[in-house]
Amino acid sequence: MTEVKVKKESTDPVDIENRIKELCLQFPHGITDQVIQNDMPHVEVQQRAMAINRLLSVGQLDLLKNSNGLLYRLKDAQSASKVKGSDNQEKLVYQIIEDAGNKGIWTRDIRYKSNLPLTEINKILKNLESKKLIKAVKSVAASKKKVYMLYNLQPDRSVTGGAWYSDQDFESEFVEVLNQQCFKFLQSKAEAARDSKQSPMVQRNSSFATSHEVWKYICELGISKVDLSMEDIETILNTLIFDGKVEMTIIAAKEGTVGSVDGQMKLYRGVNPIIQPTGLVKIPCGLCPVFDDCHEGGEISPSNCVYMAEWLDF
Amino acid sequence: MTAQEVRLCGLLLQEHFGDVVEKVGTHLIRSGVLTLRALAHETKLPLDLVKKSLCVLMQHGMCAFGAGRRGPAGPVEYHIICEHILHMLRYPRYIYTAKSLYGDTGELIVEEILQRGQMTMSSTVKTVADRLTHNMPEGQSMDYSEVVSAFSRLVETHFLQRCPPMASAGSSSSEAVNTPLPVWSTRMVYIVPVKIELMHKCQGKRRRSSEDGEAEQRAAKKTKTDNSERGDEGIYWQVNFQRFHLHFRDQAIISAVSCKLDQTSSEIVRTMLRMSEVTTPAHAAFTQALSANEIFRALPFSYNIARPILDQYLTLLVNDPMEFVGRTGDSGGGMYVVNLHRALANLARATLESVVQERFGSRSARIFRLLLRKRHLEQKQVEDFAMVPAKEAKDMLYTLLSENLVQLQEIPKTPDYAPSRTFYLYTVNQLPTARLLLQHCYKTVGNLIERRLYETKENKRLLEKSQQIEAILASLQATGAEAAQLTEVEEMITAPERQQLESLQHHINKLDSSENQVDETIFLLESYINSTQR
Repeated sequence: MTEVKVKKESTDPVDIENRIKELCLQFPHGITDQVIQNDMPHVEVQQRAMAINRLLSVGQLDLLKNSNGLLYRLKDAQSASKVKGSDNQEKLVYQIIEDAGNKGIWTRDIRYKSNLPLTEINKILKNLESKKLIKAVKSVAASKKKVYMLYNLQPDRSVTGGAWYSDQDFESEFVEVLNQQCFKFLQSKAEAARDSKQSPMVQRNSSFATSHEVWKYICELGISKVDLSMEDIETILNTLIFDGKVEMTIIAAKEGTVGSVDGQMKLYRGVNPIIQPTGLVKIPCGLCPVFDDCHEGGEISPSNCVYMAEWLDF
Repeated sequence: MTAQEVRLCGLLLQEHFGDVVEKVGTHLIRSGVLTLRALAHETKLPLDLVKKSLCVLMQHGMCAFGAGRRGPAGPVEYHIICEHILHMLRYPRYIYTAKSLYGDTGELIVEEILQRGQMTMSSTVKTVADRLTHNMPEGQSMDYSEVVSAFSRLVETHFLQRCPPMASAGSSSSEAVNTPLPVWSTRMVYIVPVKIELMHKCQGKRRRSSEDGEAEQRAAKKTKTDNSERGDEGIYWQVNFQRFHLHFRDQAIISAVSCKLDQTSSEIVRTMLRMSEVTTPAHAAFTQALSANEIFRALPFSYNIARPILDQYLTLLVNDPMEFVGRTGDSGGGMYVVNLHRALANLARATLESVVQERFGSRSARIFRLLLRKRHLEQKQVEDFAMVPAKEAKDMLYTLLSENLVQLQEIPKTPDYAPSRTFYLYTVNQLPTARLLLQHCYKTVGNLIERRLYETKENKRLLEKSQQIEAILASLQATGAEAAQLTEVEEMITAPERQQLESLQHHINKLDSSENQVDETIFLLESYINSTQR
């Protein structure tokens, strides 16, 4: 009689964990509980659960939830080593911050996502900051708001404001200087065109400058410490349009010509205002700050108006 | 009638016609329409004074009468036409235009007619000729025919027009006006333009033929002749304000084109406007379509542009973002029109922008223009587009909002207008803002006039003294006094007083000229608002 010995597979916990890890490697998208059960049918539920918990606590396994149930995924070795030594809550917070990418996330949002009390969050954030895993970046939109993001990430443009902001301050003088330089360039081009005394069509066409030309001119001038893109120059040129000094037309351009975007090119030229300052503003009344309070016989009236008296003696 | 307009009308009536007319006029403006009896009762003036004031106002075309509420059988009701009173501000500009177009003769003709309200052609011609002869050196005299030709030219270009005829001209007693005349006279007004062409030619020719004969007879003499010899009784002429306004509008468009583009383009636009002067109806949005061939032929000789160059200029005008000129067809080398309403809107917009710029600074002007272009913007978007720091942008927007130049539009996300869940958009509406600015202009002119009256009143004593001294000087000179006596009299005015007089003169001149400047703004805004109402 042969003795049928049912070979008992080793139920060593470490073996179970290793087996689970191998399964995870086989299925990089994650494995369900069902898969583990199928692979190791002899392992009891309790032992399986213990193994999974151990892996989770060590940080080698990620617990995810999808529509069918729970998924286990092998965690990246590097990130696993980073948070080694932190406890679960810190790991949770770290994960939330990581997910926010380079836009950063606000403390209140971290609280919502992790359901942890505020004091805990603050402690954890301080901890992570001291370990140099995350950093706080001040947002330019609301100066009191701080967003957290991973230490080595560059903050996104919307947070720092882009080329016009340096250290959360809007660089007004820089914008003004650029404004004037662009205007001078366009104006001199228009003057040159006017003096050339050619036929009017040619004159008008030569007084135009594409946004690409203006961009090149500004770059060559070298007044900007920061690299400016063509979109930045276009925003500056738009402010000149709103100043009434410049007008813009769009023409269709062949794809591939320098400076064309989506088959179009924007052309700018300097213009003169169509009327002189109007009559009303040549009188003190047109600019008077107390215009609405002025009545004959009142405290402020045309008869005793000091602005008028000064203006008449001019 | 807004309060500012009423105030300004009152000041103008007082300056030109005196206190009684001012009282009657302002009361009638405020009440709308009144009968003669009611007017006399409410102003507590004697009836004949009220009648005379109404006479004066009607003579100048500022008061009109019509059948009352009780029909033709009831008493006649009178009402004031406020625009005509406000046109008094513009009289200097009309006279200056007539001078620049038709010389001194034209200037005097228009001045006389403006002063009297309505005049017959013969009396105008006589008065003007006498005035001109008076100013000429001895031995020369003004030929009546020249004055007549200037007059007919003014009528040909529609600057003067006939007044609607009335059965009893000049009378304002309630009995005489009680007849069903008023209805008939309204119909006659429409026939006037046709009659201008026909009648004036006959009149003109008749005048010329009869006066040529008479002028030869009394070539170098200034004798007085009776009005009744003329034979044009009852045909009165008045100034056609609308025509002058069209002329001013054309001038504004031409100067805008020359500022924006260049001299040649403005000449082309001037030619186009000149060609369509008499054919375009008064409130049209576009002039008559003109073909490029016609424009080429009508260009002034001195310009000497080649045909293809003209085509290029026209294309440039059409492609300009301001859209002064539009192309409506391709026949005859291209049909072109001048966009009148568009041009007026652009000019009004430039006026608004200039006011904001001068009053609040160029950054606020940038925000204002930005809102005009982009219609509705949020606070954040305004900051981004205008490249203004957030705090300053907020400050400027709130200032503009408090002055009512900018409006706030709320768009709620939830049915309760909770502030955190509502969009707040800033916007600028050009038309209401133009109206607001127009009222400001009226108030400003009122202030200027009041200041002028105040200055005159303050220095009344000094002015009277200087007038007396001038009178003494004149009489002494007439009687042939010696130089010593003259200097003695002149020294009666001390040096500081002289200086004071000079500065007073300077002030009054400045106030006068600034009234004209504000009137230019008033004209642009008024034309724009009127153009949007048709």
